[in-house]
Amino acid sequence: MIKGLFDGKRWSALFTAFPEYYIPGFLMTLRISLVGLAVSLVLGVIFGMFSTSKWKLPRIISRIYVEFIQNTPLALQVMCYYSVLPMLFSSSGFRIPKFVLGVIGVGVYHGAYISEVIRTGIEAIPKGQSEAAASQGFGYLETMYHIILPQTIKIIMPPLANQALNLVKNTSILAMVAGMDLMYFTDSWGADRGYFAQAYFTSALMYFIICFPLARLARYLEIRSMRLPVAKKLDIQADEEAAC
Amino acid sequence: MKKRMLSLALSLVMAAALTACGSKAPETTAAPADTKESGSSAEADGAAAKDVQKIIDRGVLKVGCKSDIPKFSLQNTATGEYEGFEDDLAYEIAGSIFGCSADEAKEKKLVEFQGVTAKTRGPLLENGEIDLVIATFTITPERKETYNFSTPYYTDAVGLLVNKDSGINSIEDLDGKIIGVAQSSTTKDGFKKYVDEKGLKVNPQFQEFDGYPALAQALATKQIDCFSVDRAILAGYVNDGNQILEDRFAEQDYGVAAAKDNKGLAEAVEKKVTSMLSDGSMKTLQDKWGLQ
Repeated sequence: MIKGLFDGKRWSALFTAFPEYYIPGFLMTLRISLVGLAVSLVLGVIFGMFSTSKWKLPRIISRIYVEFIQNTPLALQVMCYYSVLPMLFSSSGFRIPKFVLGVIGVGVYHGAYISEVIRTGIEAIPKGQSEAAASQGFGYLETMYHIILPQTIKIIMPPLANQALNLVKNTSILAMVAGMDLMYFTDSWGADRGYFAQAYFTSALMYFIICFPLARLARYLEIRSMRLPVAKKLDIQADEEAAC
Repeated sequence: MKKRMLSLALSLVMAAALTACGSKAPETTAAPADTKESGSSAEADGAAAKDVQKIIDRGVLKVGCKSDIPKFSLQNTATGEYEGFEDDLAYEIAGSIFGCSADEAKEKKLVEFQGVTAKTRGPLLENGEIDLVIATFTITPERKETYNFSTPYYTDAVGLLVNKDSGINSIEDLDGKIIGVAQSSTTKDGFKKYVDEKGLKVNPQFQEFDGYPALAQALATKQIDCFSVDRAILAGYVNDGNQILEDRFAEQDYGVAAAKDNKGLAEAVEKKVTSMLSDGSMKTLQDKWGLQ
């Protein structure tokens, strides 16, 4: 394999195949990653709040979701969505579009992890904060939105970025069910011509192109959330109070 | 700090030395034992090429075969042995390399089989894990640039397997449907060519899967409408719920593949395959396994 790595003919074959294989694959992976990330964040916030709620039912629901998803492999889950889930709708071959399949697959999977990240983030905020909020007449959602979640962000940003990057990389599992993603096209072209070194190297580079900016963005957000001067916000509030 | 760096560097060097020893050790210990044993067979072969000599010295021919195709090459789950037409062919080739008969080669276990798939056979061959691939490997002009192929030892055609309740009865019904094919198979191009030649307007969508069980499962759960690979392989997946359509297309030749650099080995294989084809023993072998 290494012998063929610097073979010019193989690289030129790659460049001819690039628009047909890698571009659609890359776009599919990018789309699944972005929408999947949005879905997993929404699920994560909802279930993260569920598991810190004072009522028992949401806590139980959240526990079941997290434990079930965390303790089964993603490959198995995707396989289930692919071949078992459609049977629930009809027996005559209902098909879930590959894009939706990917979004559900990584979204639900990483939603569980993100909900754990958010739960630990919320629990890390001293109880006095929510007690103080309650004493000022904040409701549950208001407390969460104005007081608790802004403080958790700087705690959860690193593990959250971790999850986001894993989500991008985990989209590759779709290749198993002909998901038309980057990994699928990589396998397809690589196996077709036998130029695996070129195929996988290029693929790795393209995953890197998605992941690296995401990692930098997460780092930037982390720094920004730490830099946010608390005093400044108080000033504005103080001004407003003065105006009142 | 300096001390720590030094100890780190030292441990790294030691680790490197250890791994170097580890990778070399088996070769050096195995070599003397084998050379004695294979000395006579090497003489019988005359002046064997360098790469063939390496195999003789090693005392075993490493062959990549499929493990999941009835009649061609199927791994017996009870014994772990590979059984089929292609495996017997591997014994024949091993026999000619080691200078003994195929039965002797089988008895002495001169062939070490490794299960391969359409995806793994190429890389395994290229990085030297295996010497030969005899795994329903279709000869194409592109692949000839990458591997050394022998003369075809078997000609097969591609077939179409569909669910009986899908209402698909001929190739025309496949318009707009999803056809599942195996990665690195030549089915897609063959289908298009066949349809064009017949002047039909059939435009299905192709999806590639890694391995035949995945395809069979996708067909059974109706995620694809048709499972299309070589008929030899399809035959192993026919059951009560599905059927193979009449159409056969893309006649394709299976060849024994060796790595591009192993010219001597490729020559030896070529000699054996052509002689088996001319003296009819290839036909006998195919009949033995019930292949037409």
